[in-house]
Amino acid sequence: MTLQIETQHGKRRENEHKLTPEASQELLQILVDNIKEYAILTLDPNGRVTTWTPAAERLEGYRAEEVIGKHFSIFYTKEDFEGGKCEQELEVAAREGRFEDEGWRVRKDGSRFWANVMITALRDSNGTLKGFGKVARDMTDRKQADERLRQQNRDVLEMATVPVVQVWEGILLVPLIGTLDSARTQQLMERLLQRLTETGSQVALVDITGVPTIDTQTAQHLIETIKAVRYIGADVVLTGVRPVIAQTLVHLGVDLSSATTRASLAGGLRVALDLLDLHVGAVVRDGRMLVQ
Amino acid sequence: MSAAEAISVIRVRNVLLVTMPGDPDDSTIAALQERALDAMSAEHVRGLVLDLSKVEILDSYFARTVAETAQMVGLMGGETIIAGMRPSVAITATELGVTLGRTRTVMTVDHALDLAGRELAKEKSRR
Repeated sequence: MTLQIETQHGKRRENEHKLTPEASQELLQILVDNIKEYAILTLDPNGRVTTWTPAAERLEGYRAEEVIGKHFSIFYTKEDFEGGKCEQELEVAAREGRFEDEGWRVRKDGSRFWANVMITALRDSNGTLKGFGKVARDMTDRKQADERLRQQNRDVLEMATVPVVQVWEGILLVPLIGTLDSARTQQLMERLLQRLTETGSQVALVDITGVPTIDTQTAQHLIETIKAVRYIGADVVLTGVRPVIAQTLVHLGVDLSSATTRASLAGGLRVALDLLDLHVGAVVRDGRMLVQ
Repeated sequence: MSAAEAISVIRVRNVLLVTMPGDPDDSTIAALQERALDAMSAEHVRGLVLDLSKVEILDSYFARTVAETAQMVGLMGGETIIAGMRPSVAITATELGVTLGRTRTVMTVDHALDLAGRELAKEKSRR
């Protein structure tokens, strides 16, 4: 390639920048062969592999001679294949010019990777479909990072929805703040039972000081939670029953007589300690007061 | 293995420790009641510790049998302690509307035996 900078004719200069079709083809081939992250391949209009690249081999595990002429459904999971995903993708690409997707794909050895896939329809100047170009990229790492982040978010949200704190050996505290709907009380039940068995705790203090109102349904859910906790062999003390909540519960005809309830968290803690046969008191040791 | 053999029944001091298999079928559940009541009359035990820690699935028949057996043991003067119910089973139990009445529930068989031991000690001191 020669670059002629000084020239009288603009047209000629432009031509000098252009490569012969062969040279440009060669450069493109070098590019395609050397791109590591992207597996580039072409398919015929029926979806059979027509060209293959080293990057495609690295990603999918097949060598060119194994894969040329095979239908590209071999890269898909069994479920996707059976669901007709391959045909659907080519259809969309043919109709709209391109198709982009993220999903699980399968390597030769059967292992899965999370791929970003772009399929482009290849048409000649008359508009006849000659095949498809397919560019695939392994996004497994990013997918896993996303999943981790999402899990962390879920954990944080769950902790905020139903915080369960161990306040003493054998005693868990659940300070509930805000309205209790069915979904939240369901979560409360599951999480509380889980944590009780995990920690081997025998008393759960469920504090409703921060719950603005209680309706019949919420009360029913709380009663069920208390029952379920009993079944696994632990006890619930419902604390933070404010006057307005006490009035509402009685007016609604909710029978909480089977549960231990207290107005304050302090009162509930006392009940919990009694249930566990623990005693809190001041003792004098070396002339100093200690709280035991 | 016959239905009755799937249940392990051991006499521990003054109580009968009955361990249910993970996924008991109907005949196993029926055998539970029979063996528990037989032991109550024949072996003069004070009560029943029903270990459900292996049980993963609770259906209405199983739940009803447990509740009824506890009631029957009560009528024969004994006490039933249910041990080791899993969270998922406990949730199902509330959904099924199981009522266990005065039946005690504890987390582990260990706790159940402690409890039974304490009851016995109380009884002795009363005499």
